[in-house]
Amino acid sequence: MRNTITLTALAAGASLALAACSTGAPSDDGTAPAAGGDGNKEIAFVQGVAGDEFYITMECGIKEKAAELGYTVKTQGPQKFDPTLQKPIVDSVTASKPAALLVAPTDVEAMQAPLEQAAQAGIKVVLVDTTVNDPSFAVSQISSDNVGGGAAAFEAIKAAKPAGGKVLVISTDPGVSTVDARVKGFEDAVKADTSFSYLGVQYSHNDPATAANLVSAALQKDPDIVGIFATNLFAAEGSATGVRQAGGEDITIVGFDAGPNQIKALEAGTVQALVAQQPSTIGSDGVEQADAALSGGSVTPTIQTGFTIITKENLSGEGGDAAYKSSC
Amino acid sequence: MSALFEAHNLSRRFGRVQALDHAEFDVGAGEVVALIGDNGAGKSTLVKALTGNLDIDEGEILFEGSPIHFTTPHDASEVGIEVVHQDLALAPHLDSAENMFLGRELMRPGILGKLGFMDNSAMRQKAAVAFSELGSAVRSVVVPVGAMSGGQKQSVAIARSVAWANKVLFLDEPTAALGVVQTKNVLETIKKVRDRGLAVVLISHSMPHVLEVADRVQVLRLGRRVATYRAADTSVEELVGAMTGALDKKEGAA
Amino acid sequence: MTTTSTPPQTIETTASHDGLLERIKSMQSVWILGVLVVIVAVFGALSPTTFLTAGNITNIAQNVSIWAVLAVGMTFVIITSGIDLSVGSVLVVSSVVAAKSMDAMGGQGWSTALIGLVLAVIVGLGWGILNGFLVAKAKVPPLIVTLGTLSVALGIAQIITGGLDIRAAPDVLQDNIGYGRLAGIPAITIIALIVVVVGGIVLHRTRFGRYTYAIGSNEVSARRVGINVDRKLIQIYALSGLLAGFAGILSLAQYGTTTIAGQSLTNLNVIAAVVIGGTSIFGGQGSMFGSMVGLFIPAVLQSGFVIIGVSPYWQTVAVGTILIAAVYVDQQRRAAATRGKGVSTA
Repeated sequence: MRNTITLTALAAGASLALAACSTGAPSDDGTAPAAGGDGNKEIAFVQGVAGDEFYITMECGIKEKAAELGYTVKTQGPQKFDPTLQKPIVDSVTASKPAALLVAPTDVEAMQAPLEQAAQAGIKVVLVDTTVNDPSFAVSQISSDNVGGGAAAFEAIKAAKPAGGKVLVISTDPGVSTVDARVKGFEDAVKADTSFSYLGVQYSHNDPATAANLVSAALQKDPDIVGIFATNLFAAEGSATGVRQAGGEDITIVGFDAGPNQIKALEAGTVQALVAQQPSTIGSDGVEQADAALSGGSVTPTIQTGFTIITKENLSGEGGDAAYKSSC
Repeated sequence: MSALFEAHNLSRRFGRVQALDHAEFDVGAGEVVALIGDNGAGKSTLVKALTGNLDIDEGEILFEGSPIHFTTPHDASEVGIEVVHQDLALAPHLDSAENMFLGRELMRPGILGKLGFMDNSAMRQKAAVAFSELGSAVRSVVVPVGAMSGGQKQSVAIARSVAWANKVLFLDEPTAALGVVQTKNVLETIKKVRDRGLAVVLISHSMPHVLEVADRVQVLRLGRRVATYRAADTSVEELVGAMTGALDKKEGAA
Repeated sequence: MTTTSTPPQTIETTASHDGLLERIKSMQSVWILGVLVVIVAVFGALSPTTFLTAGNITNIAQNVSIWAVLAVGMTFVIITSGIDLSVGSVLVVSSVVAAKSMDAMGGQGWSTALIGLVLAVIVGLGWGILNGFLVAKAKVPPLIVTLGTLSVALGIAQIITGGLDIRAAPDVLQDNIGYGRLAGIPAITIIALIVVVVGGIVLHRTRFGRYTYAIGSNEVSARRVGINVDRKLIQIYALSGLLAGFAGILSLAQYGTTTIAGQSLTNLNVIAAVVIGGTSIFGGQGSMFGSMVGLFIPAVLQSGFVIIGVSPYWQTVAVGTILIAAVYVDQQRRAAATRGKGVSTA
């Protein structure tokens, strides 16, 4: 388990306190009305966006656990990660009255009211991956410890470049809580290590070309950059292009997430390591919590799941297992 | 008959082309004057110059005996001169009443009118009256013009112009694309308009139609009026001869 | 002189246009209304206890409210044979300016909300006038103009906010407009309905509306009869922008955030709705009623698919298919009309 950093909820709590941001506080769980009726064994899962491997892998975890516990699952998701598209879906799901709703909210504010409405209708709401401003209506929130993920990314760079040096973050857009938390975790970890110096974060707006421009410009200024943490695939691909354009050599690029494309990038040597979340675990934990809430068992208000670092070396073993799936 | 609308010595040059070369023109109230001429003889230029669509280099235009100058077609409309263009300029999706009143809608009385509300039923009634007075082939004022036959469209365009022209009506090739029955209908309409005392100017290539409906025929060639005939005293052969120059007659005999 | 005797003519003056019901019947949108009814019936039969509930129907109505406001302006624009791709971005930039100002003023009351509303509408109006000016005076095709302003408006929204959504709608706005209800009907839906009804009256009953059709039907003839086409076009695009600004404040009320990264498909969804509703992209034809039917079809489909648990991908397939079918039928009718079959195409 050398490359696997599995952070427990406790450890995550510590880094949470340190970070003082990220997901909302755990809640008292007494406000939701009584369970959604006996005999209703239906779980609805609303993804952040349809057709994304992260959510598909989560769906796999949900289905597996649901089958085990005797639930059926219906999955829906908007075409884009966009609250104006997700809200109507949640509203319709609420109308269909499942026993529980596992949902990845696309905006902390915009999804607040629609999800509260679902909870008021007696549906057990479990927030997976992302959250809302005031999640007190939800029975549980399960997400990756993104701050820990950022720290894990730094560990991966450090493993490849033990001598230290300058490191840079290429993010997507500001304002996405999970991504901001990853950046924060990375930043804190860099600053705690005196052999590395932090060059800050640049935003690529989900555009590989922008990421490439940012990286080649950064390399003009600091040709001695040793590592780049790219917070998503586009940022990683663009960073690799930028490194090539600027003639940079021996720069470790660490990507986030482990969809088929990310794995391909790893195999091709575009990125040297991937920080994989555990969406399947998030999903199965979500079903467990929903089940606990429905059957009157004890519910854990906040669960944070860990990460797997995937490199070329462990790809055939545990790293490969941690890769996201495009179908169950 | 004293001329209602006349022009003397009109000249207009486009580059090296002398489109109008000291052209003369006149039409009286209650009279149909046909303007004929070969392609490029200056018919369109003359009509444009007379209706405010084109500036002239020299010459003068008299309306009801006094000099007048139009800078836009709107100026011509103001004094009661309208043109039915060859392309008719109808909006195909609007019905005939809507087309007839387009740009001059009748508004509801009072505050509603001020707010922009139209009096559709009044417009339809008036349109229906106008069409039946002209013996138009239009059977409904609530069918989109785009769904009408060529003759019906023509009569909508004529009715629209007639509704606003109380002095002079220009018609540019009104029968060019029509069948026999439809043509007859349009010619009847022209006569009715004349009988109301309007001056009608008909631009046409069709000699038989010209001879049937016109009181006088003015022949243009190379930008000037080369002959004027009383329709009753002339023939297709004579007109063609004047148009082509085979038969040069001193102008102004009529 | 005696006139040749003409047989007494009976000219139809009060055809189908007069009664509202008859008017609707004669419209392009009548078959698409049938499609909507069928969709509702199918889902109602499949899932009677959840789909046909008051709660679900109100939710659908609430979720199309913002698009309905945009669709009013879009209907005018498309009838002139134009297009406005910028509505989503103008909505966002208007809500950003409003949210930023309301945030700066502080206060959660109506006075703050009112100033936000005024600002949003002014910003939207400004963008609309810019669109209209470029289309009418600079003669740049509307597709290009609004594609450009789509990008510029979104960029400016991002510059103002640094890409971070502003989550600062006054409480009164969210509580009363966004999620408030009047007699069980969402307030936002009532507001949208008022906008739609007023828009429909202006389109179908006033001279402004008549000129909108005339410009789209035959711009040359509109100019010949003395309509100031350029000014009308500017007014029509300005109306679309103004309504996008108004939708911006409604969006703020409903979502409580400026949705900078959102509204990504809003323009296309609204255009699709208007076209499905029988408004011709070639201009001259269309109705407000049709646009509203066109708006409900995708919304009802989505809700129904979610409730019966059909994959989200099928929703896109279904909406796309209906869009093409709608335009195909539109073309057929047009062809029939120009062949002179007297098809009523109001």
